[in-house]
Amino acid sequence: MMMINDIETKIYTVSKLNKYIKKLFENDFNLQDIWILGEISNFKLHSSGHMYFVLKDQESQIKCVMFRGNNCTLRFMPGDGMKVKVRGDVSVYEKRGEYQLYVKEMIEAGKGELYLAFERLKEKLKDEGLFSEEIKKKLPLIPQNIAVITSPTGAAIRDVLTISLRRFPNLSILVVPSLVQGTFAAQEIAKKIDFLNKYFKYLDFIIIGRGGGSLEELWAFNEEILARSIYNSKIPIVSAVGHETDFTISDFVADLRSPTPSAAAEMTIPDKNNLISNLSLLRSKIIRAFKRNLELKTEKLISINKSLRYQRPENKINQYYQYIDEYSARLSSRIKHRVELYEERIKKDSQRLDSLSPWAIIERGYSICRKIPGRGIIKRLNQIEVGAKIEVIISDGKIFSKVEKKEVVSN
Amino acid sequence: MKNKKKIEDIPFEEYLRKLEKIVHQLEEGELTLDESVKTYEEGMNISKICLEKLNKTKKKIEQLVIEGEENYSTKPFSEKEGEDAINEF
Repeated sequence: MMMINDIETKIYTVSKLNKYIKKLFENDFNLQDIWILGEISNFKLHSSGHMYFVLKDQESQIKCVMFRGNNCTLRFMPGDGMKVKVRGDVSVYEKRGEYQLYVKEMIEAGKGELYLAFERLKEKLKDEGLFSEEIKKKLPLIPQNIAVITSPTGAAIRDVLTISLRRFPNLSILVVPSLVQGTFAAQEIAKKIDFLNKYFKYLDFIIIGRGGGSLEELWAFNEEILARSIYNSKIPIVSAVGHETDFTISDFVADLRSPTPSAAAEMTIPDKNNLISNLSLLRSKIIRAFKRNLELKTEKLISINKSLRYQRPENKINQYYQYIDEYSARLSSRIKHRVELYEERIKKDSQRLDSLSPWAIIERGYSICRKIPGRGIIKRLNQIEVGAKIEVIISDGKIFSKVEKKEVVSN
Repeated sequence: MKNKKKIEDIPFEEYLRKLEKIVHQLEEGELTLDESVKTYEEGMNISKICLEKLNKTKKKIEQLVIEGEENYSTKPFSEKEGEDAINEF
């Protein structure tokens, strides 16, 4: 009766009903933001990026969805058979009338509480800037004094010593024994870092570490007290915790992280032989380049010298000497020629002169009359008076006579 | 010059960089004779310094013994296994 009455009084649509149920779920805080442990099956990664799967235990199962916005931060890929812890809200998928778990966070169940603590501390320290790359200190290329904080027994210290000294035989290493696992380990390592910073400021860096182990065994290196001590250290810190996949908090804060203590030694201690051969390579390069420079300069000098020789002053002088010799020879031959020419001309002239000489005329029977005194040659009658004395020059002598008479002769 | 810094204070890698620069300068062959002699000598000097830096430290393996907040001493590292390792060198 009740049912019929109810139906008569109020009729819901399916979607209204589902909406109502959904509200019930969402208002129940026991179903919101809860952790559930279970095994994954029917896992499907949709092309949209959302994950659909079923979480089950021996007796029961529940449908789950993890949207892309939530699963993108997963550090592993879920798969069937995987035991996981998930955090989420239970709600209703109205379209199908199915309730399901809306997963917001998922961790592998094996990792447990420690893992959660790790993730939380990591986020916290990261936000505080402890992992910032800018604050990381640089290690020197040639370390001289290093310290190793680790267990004094066991493979870790042995590996570090062996490898370090093999790579760089003259190294000063201070071994600082410490607990590396257990409740007090983190505090002790932190204290020792502080101690070294106080009394061993000159250290080039400090390696802290231990060999590999389970998450629990490595836990000291995930503790906040150690992280802060590493962060505050003025001496660079190298984190060398043996582990294969994950990092420790120490790794994130340290100035340099390495996967094992041996790797830390390999990474931080240079190979001395390599350095020396590199040095001698540079040295021989310098010598070769210098020699080559000298050769180039010498070659240049030789070529300059060669071209200079053509311009030597003594060469010039010799050249002038040659000119002089040449010119003087030419000059003397020319003078000689001139002289000969003159001689010839003189000869000719004197012959002509000969023919003009008064003696030659006198030879032919002419004579010259000259007054006495005065020796003036008498050419006209008016030059002489009757009675005057004259001399007549003939070819072989003179005749002295007196003018008897003057007579004009007409031609 | 700016040789104010002590040799000990200048890190090895800085000298190494200088050496590489010197090689480069000499290989370019554009230095005068005087400059190249000077550069060559500087290079030889720096490579000597580098070698000295490499050989400067003495091998020493010690163990720190902390005795209270402010006291400490060091002793040769003598842990059994450690000892075996050292003896290999």
